[in-house]
Amino acid sequence: MIKITDLEKYYRTEEVQTVALNKLSFDVREGEFVAIMGPSGCGKSTLLNILGLLDDPDGGSFIFNGIEVSGFNERKRANLRKHNIGFVFQSFNLIDELTVYENVELPLIYTGVKATDRKNRVHEVLEKMQIMHRRNHFPQQLSGGQQQRVAVARAVVNNPKLILADEPTGNLDSSNGNEVMDLLTELNQQGTTIIMVTHSEHDAKFSHRIIRMLDGQKVTENVLV
Amino acid sequence: MIRNYFKIAWRNLKKNKFYSIINISGLALGMFCSFLIWFWVKDEMSYDRFYPGYEDIYFVRCNSDFNGKVVTSGLTPSPLAEALKKDVPEVAFVTKLAYNRNLLINFGEKAGKENGLYASDDFFDVFRLPAIAGNPKDALVSPDHIVITRNVAEKYFRDISPLGKTIRLNNDKDYTVGAVIENIPSNSTVQLDWVVNFKETEQEWMQLWGNTMLRTYVRLHPEAAPENAEINMKGIYPKYADMDVIPILQPLKDVRLYSDYKNGKPSGGGIEYIHIFMIVALFILAIACINFMNMATARSSLRAKEVGIRKVVGAGRNSLFKQFISESILTSLLGLLLALGLVKLMLPAFSRFLRRPIEMDITDPTTLISIIVLLLITGFLSGSYPALYLSAISPIHNLKNKLKPGFLNAAFLRKSLVVFQFTLSIFLIISMIVINGQMQYMRSENLGLDRERVLSIPLEGELYNKMEPFKQEVLRSAAIENATTSAMLPIDIGSSSGDLSWPEKDPDLQTNVSVMHVGYDFIQTMNIELASGRDFSKDFRTDSLAYLINESTAELMGMEDPVGKQISFWNGEAPVIGMMKDFHIQSLHMPITPLVLCLDPLNSSQMLVKTRAGKTAEAIQDLEKLTRKFNPNYPFEYHFLDTEYEKLYRTDTMISTLIRYFGILAMVISVMGLLALAAFTAEQRTKEIGIRKVLGASVTNIVTLLSGNFTRLVLISIVIASPIAWYTMHLWLNSFAYSIELQWWMFILAGSVVILIAWITVSGQSIKAATANPVKGLRSE
Repeated sequence: MIKITDLEKYYRTEEVQTVALNKLSFDVREGEFVAIMGPSGCGKSTLLNILGLLDDPDGGSFIFNGIEVSGFNERKRANLRKHNIGFVFQSFNLIDELTVYENVELPLIYTGVKATDRKNRVHEVLEKMQIMHRRNHFPQQLSGGQQQRVAVARAVVNNPKLILADEPTGNLDSSNGNEVMDLLTELNQQGTTIIMVTHSEHDAKFSHRIIRMLDGQKVTENVLV
Repeated sequence: MIRNYFKIAWRNLKKNKFYSIINISGLALGMFCSFLIWFWVKDEMSYDRFYPGYEDIYFVRCNSDFNGKVVTSGLTPSPLAEALKKDVPEVAFVTKLAYNRNLLINFGEKAGKENGLYASDDFFDVFRLPAIAGNPKDALVSPDHIVITRNVAEKYFRDISPLGKTIRLNNDKDYTVGAVIENIPSNSTVQLDWVVNFKETEQEWMQLWGNTMLRTYVRLHPEAAPENAEINMKGIYPKYADMDVIPILQPLKDVRLYSDYKNGKPSGGGIEYIHIFMIVALFILAIACINFMNMATARSSLRAKEVGIRKVVGAGRNSLFKQFISESILTSLLGLLLALGLVKLMLPAFSRFLRRPIEMDITDPTTLISIIVLLLITGFLSGSYPALYLSAISPIHNLKNKLKPGFLNAAFLRKSLVVFQFTLSIFLIISMIVINGQMQYMRSENLGLDRERVLSIPLEGELYNKMEPFKQEVLRSAAIENATTSAMLPIDIGSSSGDLSWPEKDPDLQTNVSVMHVGYDFIQTMNIELASGRDFSKDFRTDSLAYLINESTAELMGMEDPVGKQISFWNGEAPVIGMMKDFHIQSLHMPITPLVLCLDPLNSSQMLVKTRAGKTAEAIQDLEKLTRKFNPNYPFEYHFLDTEYEKLYRTDTMISTLIRYFGILAMVISVMGLLALAAFTAEQRTKEIGIRKVLGASVTNIVTLLSGNFTRLVLISIVIASPIAWYTMHLWLNSFAYSIELQWWMFILAGSVVILIAWITVSGQSIKAATANPVKGLRSE
């Protein structure tokens, strides 16, 4: 599903150029659950942004579903993103001005799903995430665990092929964290490919394969299953 | 999708009430001004366009040569009308109008004065006014008939039909009502409540081509080209009169706004004010939009996360742009509703102020379109920058709240916009001060003759016939100091002549001197200073032929001591018996021109009465008694000369008042924006302020820090606005022959007022931030 080869990314300030990704290569097959680990600043988030088509690499190749996507313009990337990729963030990133229902509905609006279909789909996902009773609340009125469940609901509402999770349990206590990991595992078992960046060895164990990075390069790769 | 946009827009508005109120009310005030100005402009532009086939109606003006310069006059000689009809094939109809007169109308017991005019046969073919009863065309050409308007018909005849009834005009002649026409709309440059055929007032001397006192209008054939008509009109004067005069055509719709001619071409006369106020409207709207833009960009950092999330879940730049524009359009819409409410509330007062029936008719398509256009322009103008700016940032930056790349530019833009706003406000305030100064000057300027405690009484009916006995009785009143008679008001002498001649005159020199007929005691009553010689006196029988001149006339003739010299004018060759010091004979827009006074009490149209100090009320009572005794058929009528003088400046007063209100509004809107920006900055810098305080900064330090930035912006605005205002006001003052000088203190005053207001606005917020507990600011991060 994903094949990256010699991927490069630099950050430049006026005087210094920092290498974020240094000729990084690996593949992810459809249906896989991959965890990416490494110390702060090793390039995990940069990688995730590129995989999520939020950012463009400076060099190398990125093939997504058989298509070379490095060099895509913003509009093409946005289009590919909204149909194929769901995101889960450490800080949930819900829109404070929208209710739970409206937050989850948002991706469907942008992909042009009809209103009645949207309603059914949102209800279905909210039920699944056991957050239906909170659908008319605003994010600030929810606990962290509930907010992350809403975020996961939003990530999967469009049935994406790929979910990118950036330390999804980072802001949660262990029981809420485990709940979220169980949700991701379940989604993976239903066929969704998941790539997760994490600092937690505990969370990484939920995956099939752990890629460890340092200074923008892959150091080791452990297959767990 | 749209619903979603408006939903979040609405929630944002509710969440940030303070900023929403400032945005909406600012926009409302801006739109309110624009609407008022638009309705006024629309009214001004509507003049004379209601006449059926108005495109074919033209006002005839005459270009003539005066010492090498082309002078354009709106007054034409009587025989021109007949010549136009005969010699210009493009002309279908011609009508000539004598000047409007306010004459007494009697029907049975009812009496009143009504404004009307004498017009020649084709009047109703040129001005196709709708008839209510009778045939106005036939009525006008039938002898002894009068055409009246609905107003007059309802006032004098109530329920009975006026057709065929006889009314007495000017207590002199009876006329049969031949037709009733609809009231003339107030946006007509020709106003009347009755019309009688011109022949009724025609006199032999009017047949001379040199006597210009009529307004002439033509209606061309629909397919005729006015250029061709003008070519044919060139032949008229050479054919009938040996004069260097060329008649020209002015479209009727232009008469209202293009009354001034320079070098034979229209140069303005009202349209300038339309342009000025349209620019003012645009300025004020821009100021309000800037508030909105500034707050939106300033607060965009708070929206960054939302934009980032939307992008991550699939929003394209396009849909984000639409979202922000919908938000600003929603805000504009709320502003618009508020503005329309304000307009509805203020329109009656505005109409009274303009003395015009200004209406807001939302169903009128042009109004409706202008409202929608205004809404869209405001929405796009205010929302475009934040929309473009926020939607362009990469989602990663948005999510990290890292807005650095564009943010510096946004801050610079914001500062520039604040400078722009204040430049406009300061410009308007300087203009306000200068215009006010000039108005004060005009009110208080010594004209060279008295206008306080002087009353004018029209000499009509028996007051004219028994002028002298009436004057003697008036003088007997203890409340009255003096009295004289004159042909017109001495503060606005409109009559002039080229007939002045003197022995040493260069035969090629063309002269144009103002002229007025007066009665005895004119100089004394008006308290005009004599430079030499004396006033007309009954002791000298030859005075009936003599002349009084002013200093400018003496200068024109090159005479240092003109008294006793013979000059030739309307009374033939006769001596100058006195030279008056120059006094203002027209509004201060006009320079003092040479003036000749001729003694001829019988040519008087009014009595000028000087009352004793503090006795004006008694004087009016005495005058009323006397008028009732001498002239029982006429209502008692009097005017204060100083009120009439104020009327000369009606347009100036109106402009000055409008500039004052709009200037204050512009300032208010700017200050509102500054307040919001200051509040926001203080909010943004809470942490910085906390750290500074922990490190030992005093409240004064903090307030100076926060207010200093804004003060600098206002100072820059003053530097930019002052020269622009100086230049513009210099131009405006040049439109007066007599004006104040621009003074440095006017600029200092405007600047200080604005700085003070800005400082109060900003420091309130700064003090609030500076006195807050620093721990709070530090904890918030």
